[in-house]
Amino acid sequence: MTAAHLLKAEGVRVEIAGLEIVEHADLELTAGRILAIVGPNGAGKSTLARALVGLQGAAGGSIAWAGKPLGKWRRRELARTRAFVPQRAPVSAGLTTRDAVAMGRAPHLGALQRPTAKDAAIVERAIARSGVEHLAERSLATLSGGELQRVRLAVALAQETPAIVLDEPTASLDLGAAAEMGRLLHDLAAEGLAVLVVVHDLALAAAIADEVVIVDRGRTVAHGEPADVLTSERLLETWGAAATLDIRRGATVFEVDWLASGARPEGAASTEGGLA
Amino acid sequence: MRSRHSLVLAAGLAVLVLSFLASLAFGAVALPIKEVARALAGGDVSGQVHEIAVGLRLPRTASAAAVGAALAVAGVLLQGALANPLASPDVIGVTGGAGFGATLILLAFPDQAPLVPLGALIFGLVAAGIVLTLGSAGPRGGSIERVVLAGIAIAALFGAATTSLMVAYPDRVSSAIGFLAGGLVSDGWSSLETSGPYLAAGFVGAVLLARPLDRLSLGDDLAASLGTSPRRTRLLAGIAAAALAAAAASIAGLLGFLGLIVPHLVRLAAGTATHRFLIPACAIVGAAVLLLGDTLARTVVAPIELPVGPLMVVLGVPWFLWLLRKTA
Repeated sequence: MTAAHLLKAEGVRVEIAGLEIVEHADLELTAGRILAIVGPNGAGKSTLARALVGLQGAAGGSIAWAGKPLGKWRRRELARTRAFVPQRAPVSAGLTTRDAVAMGRAPHLGALQRPTAKDAAIVERAIARSGVEHLAERSLATLSGGELQRVRLAVALAQETPAIVLDEPTASLDLGAAAEMGRLLHDLAAEGLAVLVVVHDLALAAAIADEVVIVDRGRTVAHGEPADVLTSERLLETWGAAATLDIRRGATVFEVDWLASGARPEGAASTEGGLA
Repeated sequence: MRSRHSLVLAAGLAVLVLSFLASLAFGAVALPIKEVARALAGGDVSGQVHEIAVGLRLPRTASAAAVGAALAVAGVLLQGALANPLASPDVIGVTGGAGFGATLILLAFPDQAPLVPLGALIFGLVAAGIVLTLGSAGPRGGSIERVVLAGIAIAALFGAATTSLMVAYPDRVSSAIGFLAGGLVSDGWSSLETSGPYLAAGFVGAVLLARPLDRLSLGDDLAASLGTSPRRTRLLAGIAAAALAAAAASIAGLLGFLGLIVPHLVRLAAGTATHRFLIPACAIVGAAVLLLGDTLARTVVAPIELPVGPLMVVLGVPWFLWLLRKTA
């Protein structure tokens, strides 16, 4: 099963309001691995992720989950196969964290079926796993952006799907929280989950991902292990930035020449990201 | 948290039972509540008590309970579906359509007055049908803004049509005022029978939509991730709300305020927004509120009946504002 692709996308094309946002995307997602989609702003990363999970219709190409074309899945069935963690979502004042995470069981319950003790246990486990136990009884309206991000991840974990797709899960997190999220995704993959993550932070992506797909102007332009793909030439070509990524598994050193190319070598800055 | 929910439900039920009995007992002739309860249970009471309580007042009492529950549930469905606390049956055009339907018959075809409930029901459903069709068509269809904008446009259109009818038949306007103000009438079981199937369908739909609406409150993306279609949920909630509100209007005229305010009362009192709780709780509280309002309207200056719509707004607004201030 590990060799089989949980998700296979070929030549995916997405149009929104007549505008071609994704021109041609190919990728494969396998159980137990983290695939990071990276690329500059407006490259179509999030749109691609939404198309892959079925939230956005594709205008062309093929997307198949577990060998079955996306269009052939029933909604509830698909919701037991993949979970999606959006970057943002409206916050309902009248719901607690536990109310929200409990909804993660929806794809496993009939329309009027009551959750069992087993469902409740899965919900508690998802809450613990995402590190939001202390927020379980809090109203969602009182949570910070980073806390909400973890609650949304907990909803996805309660879905108990073999694959999870996250759109910019570290966008509103500080360094420590981002590292924690990275560690959690790494652990989930180690347990056999297939993780697809759209991420801005190249240092984090390089540190945790088994494979990286670069999306540039709506096309997947490179695909492979982080060290092979995130080269200085590529960083210059795709992001227009003079930078080097020194990649070791779990830790990365990202050196960026913030102030143009070679004009002021002393202006170089470096940031570190990844797993401690 | 859960105990607070149970408390609100228990209090709502207690008030509902008491207001139901009070509605049967009070009126131009006051009956002892014990006797009324016995008459309802099929016990041995005097023929006069039975005639007044069960024969005369029960249809109106049952109608008030059904209408109150229907409007409150329609309100909570729309507020959840449109993620907008200001939503009420007005926003999908039901109120405007029903008002036009009733006015059309009362003013243009006064000799067909018994058809008023049917006219209100049909035009309420037609207006909502236009709004939901316009709102869900096209590539951006099903979005909240589209539905709300279509609702505002259609409500304005039917409002203008109603006003035009009044201008065309100025001498008959007074016959429509009762319907437009909103209020219950003692006309036996006929209007409840006409609207019954729509009420039943609406309530069943509301129960089935409780969980999908909860998921929708996490946002469209998470709802879709969980296997719920936001667009379909919104459309079905709109249909169920339209059936409930149009049926309510056909029985008791335009009492839109109830649908706006009861869901807020329940949310403020219970501190939750889960529809699994809100829908049954709003049905109970909505029924209790309209029963109390109708009983008051019939008794404060008996034998004159006050229009219950304006009365409830006048009594309800200060109470609601106080609650809003207390919990804010």
